[in-house]
Amino acid sequence: MSQVVEKTDSEMKINYGSKTKPIWCPGCGDFGVQASIIKALKDLQIEKSNVVLVSGIGCSSAMPHTFSTYGLHSLHGRILPVATGIKLANNSLTVIGTGGDGDGYGIGSGHFVHACRRNVDITYIVMTNETYGLTTGQAAPTALVGTKTKSTPFGVIEQPINPIALAISAGATYVARGFSGDPVHLSELIKNGIKHKGFALIDTFSPCVTFNHTNTFDWFRRRVYKLEQEGHDSSDISKAFDKSMEDFKSNYEKMPIGLFYKTERPTYEDLDISLKDGPLLNQPLPGKEEIKKAIEENM
Amino acid sequence: MVDVTIRIAGANGDGVESSGNMLLKTVARNGLHAYGYRGYQSIIRGGHVWYQVRIGEAKLYSPGNGIDVFVALNQDGIENQKEHFNKNAIIIYDPSKVNVDSIKNQGYTLIGIPLLDTAVKISGDPIMRNVVAIGAILKVIGVNIEAFDEVAKSMFLRKGEAIVSNNVNAARTGYNYEGVETFRPIKGDEKTRFTLDGNTALSMGSYAAGCKLYAGYPMTPASTILQWFAAHEDKGVLAKQTEDELAAINTAIGGSFAGVRSACGTSGGGFSLMVEALGFTAMLEVPLVVFEAQRTGPSTGLPTKTEQADLLFILHASQGEFPRIVVSPRNVEECFYIAAEAFNLADKYQCPVIVMSDLFLSEHIESIDGFDIDSININRGKIAEKNNGERFKRYLYSEDGVSPRAFPGTPGLEHIAASDEHDEYGDLVSDALSGIGKYVEVRKKMHGKRMSKIESMLKNESIFVPKVRDEDSDYFFVCFGSTTDQVIEATEMLKSKGKKFGVISFNYLMPLDKEKTKKMLKGKKLIDVECNFTAQLAQVIMANTGIEIPNRILRYDGEVITSAEIVEKALGMIDKF
Ligand SMILES: Cc1ncc(C[n+]2csc(CCOP(=O)(O)OP(=O)(O)O)c2C)c(N)n1
Ligand code: SF4
Repeated sequence: MSQVVEKTDSEMKINYGSKTKPIWCPGCGDFGVQASIIKALKDLQIEKSNVVLVSGIGCSSAMPHTFSTYGLHSLHGRILPVATGIKLANNSLTVIGTGGDGDGYGIGSGHFVHACRRNVDITYIVMTNETYGLTTGQAAPTALVGTKTKSTPFGVIEQPINPIALAISAGATYVARGFSGDPVHLSELIKNGIKHKGFALIDTFSPCVTFNHTNTFDWFRRRVYKLEQEGHDSSDISKAFDKSMEDFKSNYEKMPIGLFYKTERPTYEDLDISLKDGPLLNQPLPGKEEIKKAIEENM
Repeated sequence: MVDVTIRIAGANGDGVESSGNMLLKTVARNGLHAYGYRGYQSIIRGGHVWYQVRIGEAKLYSPGNGIDVFVALNQDGIENQKEHFNKNAIIIYDPSKVNVDSIKNQGYTLIGIPLLDTAVKISGDPIMRNVVAIGAILKVIGVNIEAFDEVAKSMFLRKGEAIVSNNVNAARTGYNYEGVETFRPIKGDEKTRFTLDGNTALSMGSYAAGCKLYAGYPMTPASTILQWFAAHEDKGVLAKQTEDELAAINTAIGGSFAGVRSACGTSGGGFSLMVEALGFTAMLEVPLVVFEAQRTGPSTGLPTKTEQADLLFILHASQGEFPRIVVSPRNVEECFYIAAEAFNLADKYQCPVIVMSDLFLSEHIESIDGFDIDSININRGKIAEKNNGERFKRYLYSEDGVSPRAFPGTPGLEHIAASDEHDEYGDLVSDALSGIGKYVEVRKKMHGKRMSKIESMLKNESIFVPKVRDEDSDYFFVCFGSTTDQVIEATEMLKSKGKKFGVISFNYLMPLDKEKTKKMLKGKKLIDVECNFTAQLAQVIMANTGIEIPNRILRYDGEVITSAEIVEKALGMIDKF
């Protein structure tokens, strides 16, 4: 992220929200996520004009419209490449991806693993509701085996994707999971994700109250617990893997939230030599002489 | 005009291409015109490969017809290529590797040189046999051997003095070999020319235009653009090899949205994956340049062969309607200027610009006098920098359809760019509001605003018409892109047969100025020449002007269309008019 200056209460005047009314159904988990992002930005006091929210397509991807920052509401599944392009073009911006679990772990899953290994300094918030909300309730890749949906009337027969384990194994440097039902905790995870230098995943349980009557707020409340309270060591990759398998091992009875894994590694921007003189956007264009030289060297 | 066509044939891994390159550089730097093209297969070792170098005293328009001088590195070379030998061809071969019985007593001059033996003696490296052959070729065409020394230095000095002197010695041995004479003398002027291929020209044009971000996923024949940018990362350009072409185009869109001139490139298969994002960038009104280097399709097709069969696909790719510019440069030099201009057009009209090439154009080498860098101007189009006291309208309705855009980081101009239909602010009129009277109007108006850019393009730019050569001719060839130069050469050959043929060639293909195009074509005796099965350009002309061109010369076997076949077929068609 760009310069983080923590300010005092009296200085916290920036209003990150917009007047646009969210499209979400009353009670949708995405409201809590929105509030958590706003709180995180308020805590960090990042210049509004330096924030870019990038979403895909889905209910959750309506997120940027509820903000008065810059935003790009992209295609279904393409949050990460678009966000990567923005960050590579101007790495002084704070770039935050926001989208659904279908968007990120279904149609966009190819980009997801590569974003993790690439370690571009992007914060990626995935609203996991185990369903396709916008298309009115088909199975998401996170849906548990047996879940009956419109597209799986006899129950899901595939294993759910495990984004936490996937992210850790693919090389993400900040891997966390939050719950929309605990926005204070979630906003801390988001805030630290933004502050983290590198690719940060914040997978977020964000129930769909309209199409998913299984994985409800109550369902999650009965299952989640905080890793911090158990003294989980988030710097230990083996322990992080272990915790990432707990959903599965407990047959989805115990589902940890909090920071699974965090490590420091140079970002893509740190390592790409074309960015050594600062953001691409600000680098002067080559002069005529420089162009002539480059051309003659080639011929 | 005096010209000589030389072909070197061997197996993959024999260094056939790099020797062709050396020869091209040597002659181009010494006052001659040069043209190079390789034939190869998509395997790394073995297989039959050849490289063709044509050398002329004046500008060349094609790789040549038939072979005047042939270098055979192995027996396959002779057997696969002998049908292309021209009368009195000169054959240089290595007697220890090649038996020439099958081509004896046919009027060819056969020169046996122990290429391999000489190479090994001089350098210990069998690959050097190519260089011995180059020396012999230089003698055959009467180019001073000193010319080679400079080229060897520029190409190999970074590998060490020893490599340079081995090259020089090998070439001199070939040059001075007994029996090698200046059979086909050719004389250049005083100019030093550069040699480069279409993809290099596209890359350099982009660089000159200030393109700083290039995203791609390797696919022949587009990969060398990605590689050019990767090799220049120390010059302030960022090359991103992405996980797939979906990522490539969307990364470029992100970069462009953030304010950096960005491009992506691929061949037809990758372009198929990029299609959804074309409409996306048009909807966002984010400028984008996409390079599409065609190869023989469909599907994986012939990955190392050429074709012009993606035209209709490129013109129509992606759902919905939106303005786009499609341009197909006609030669290597034009690749440079058109690539540079593509970024201006994308910025001015905030839409995708697709620059089409094909394997032949992307990979063949031409000699050029140099580029006029000073003629490259950068026009970034409408960019807002300050807030005017009100909420920023990113999609402001405007007369020419173009609204000022703002780069993230600019205070006061925050907005959301959206792939859903939106109003002037960028607020959605899709999900909750769609169908409500007021928003139906918004959709209509916003779609109209975007589409009105097509009118603006046609009004402001004079480029969207075909180009005519030899206006007062009896017959005209109609063609687009890289086929044009072969066609031009064919008209020259037809002239010497007393037939007056002109050329109407298209580079900018979308939008088209229908009226002007129609006027140019109407009443003329036309023959359509393309490298595809369905005469796609003729279809485009029919759709835009109502003019049908039933006389067609089409090639779709993956090989480059030749001026000789155009001449032959055209002569057979004349009676039909
Ligand atoms: C290429 C493409 N395929 C399919 C769709 C249709 N579509 C829109 S949203 C969506 C799934 C939404 O699910 P998710 O990403 O989990 O978001 P949610 O609505 O649940 O927040 C689908 C399949 C689309 N817009 N684009
Ligand atoms: S359908 Fe579900 S995910 Fe979509 S807004 Fe309603 S509750 Fe939220």
